[in-house]
Amino acid sequence: MTPCLSYSGGAGALAQWMLVELQGEVEPRQSGSLAGSLLGDLHYTCEGTPVLIVGHHILYGKVVQLEKPFAVLVKQAGGPQPSPGEPQGHYTVTALIKTKLLFKTRPKPIITHMPKKV
Amino acid sequence: AAMSERSRAEVDATLQTAKLNPAELLPAVHCLSFGPQASAGECCLLQLEPGLCAELEAGRSLVIRGEKGEQAVLCSKDKTYDMKIADTSNMLLFIPGCKTPEQLNADPASCNVIHSQIAGFSKNYWELRRCRPKLKKLRKLLMEDPYEGPSSQEDQTSTFSKYTTEDLLSLIQASEEEILHHLQVIDACKIEGRYWRVLEFSYEMKLLDHVTQLIDSESWSLNKVPLRTCLEELGSLEPREMIEHILLSYGRKYVDDGEVYFEMHEDKICRAIAQMLLQNAVKFNLSEFQEVWQQSVPEGMTTRLDQLKGLALVDKSSRPETIFLLKVEDLPEDNQGRFNSLFSIREKWTEVDITPYIQDLCAEKQTVGALLTKYARSSMLNGVKVYNSRRPIS
Repeated sequence: MTPCLSYSGGAGALAQWMLVELQGEVEPRQSGSLAGSLLGDLHYTCEGTPVLIVGHHILYGKVVQLEKPFAVLVKQAGGPQPSPGEPQGHYTVTALIKTKLLFKTRPKPIITHMPKKV
Repeated sequence: AAMSERSRAEVDATLQTAKLNPAELLPAVHCLSFGPQASAGECCLLQLEPGLCAELEAGRSLVIRGEKGEQAVLCSKDKTYDMKIADTSNMLLFIPGCKTPEQLNADPASCNVIHSQIAGFSKNYWELRRCRPKLKKLRKLLMEDPYEGPSSQEDQTSTFSKYTTEDLLSLIQASEEEILHHLQVIDACKIEGRYWRVLEFSYEMKLLDHVTQLIDSESWSLNKVPLRTCLEELGSLEPREMIEHILLSYGRKYVDDGEVYFEMHEDKICRAIAQMLLQNAVKFNLSEFQEVWQQSVPEGMTTRLDQLKGLALVDKSSRPETIFLLKVEDLPEDNQGRFNSLFSIREKWTEVDITPYIQDLCAEKQTVGALLTKYARSSMLNGVKVYNSRRPIS
């Protein structure tokens, strides 16, 4: 009868997360899952421009305040198995996202001739 | 993290390889890696319409409602939204604990390496669009077992479901406020304090008749019907809650000098009496009906055809003119279904005739004209603009 339920507001403020929007796909370098693997380093210039170094690429982006924030829903374990495209299942709202880092520019490849020894 | 985390030295080495000048950058860096559950697809994104974000932050709930086979909707306390998947061509990563430049600048201690774990990623998100609450089911559920009065043998042997507010919240795709408002619109009441019921129509008319007869015999003004006297005089005939309920359904309650009175709704009473007359046959001779109708309403009330909008339809093309019962709440709830059904009842409609039967379909800020443009085709008939179906109706 009640297939799915979302967040019940309650104790504690909702966490604020950030969205990073990238072009293309994210794939693991080695075969296997992405879990645990590094994506890259995120810097900001003094003017506040985000700079993302991913592999051999530098991406320049911008900070965008979302006109329509997102809620992050996390599926609760033990709920009924949803079919694709249906939001049935038990979810809780874990966080809000009001800001995103949008990387739309063509990545600049980093050309290296010699790996730097640490 | 069990894996070796990147060190400041490694970060600086990468900067150097990339030929970026650290002096042009803020001192803090986020080293982004994928968290252990990132690929599991446990997280998804829901784009929030204006106001919903504030509701969540205020600690209020959002609920997704829909049984198998129903398109899911999201409900806040007072609004309902359709949910639809939107695809982006980009990859969206969601990252807890990731700071903006302003946040980093505000915190002087942040010249650190911040290890941020990406909680999840997606190429799509749920999009919301405000929609009309799906309330037809509410009336349908309550009409399964209308209340016929205390004299009917029911309750003990009743096999029908009875519905509490909580039951309705779990079954109806609408927000709580929209549900409670609609319960008021359909004159539902709580019997035994818990279960929502609608009155069976003839029982409702019987109660109304008691009240109108009393008004007549007491020569009360229709604007000042005293609750106390009604309960005293009618309390032996019907339960007090039912007497009060019928007064609330057909009147406006107010207090004057400490006493409760009702200002009776002339239009609503006339309309109910019309329904009672019309439901006895497929159609009626219009002028005969109007005569009987006026005679049937309480003294001092005047019947008018415009009281019957959305309840009955006049056929001006027949000789003599006729009138028949057509209740908007019996028609399909979805736009296309509603128009199909209206056009199968009558091929061509004037705007005046069709408006009461499509008014409720209008979304926020949508006009009847916009609906007609979308779902109908217009033409001229005897100098009058009429609307017919865009497609052949079987």
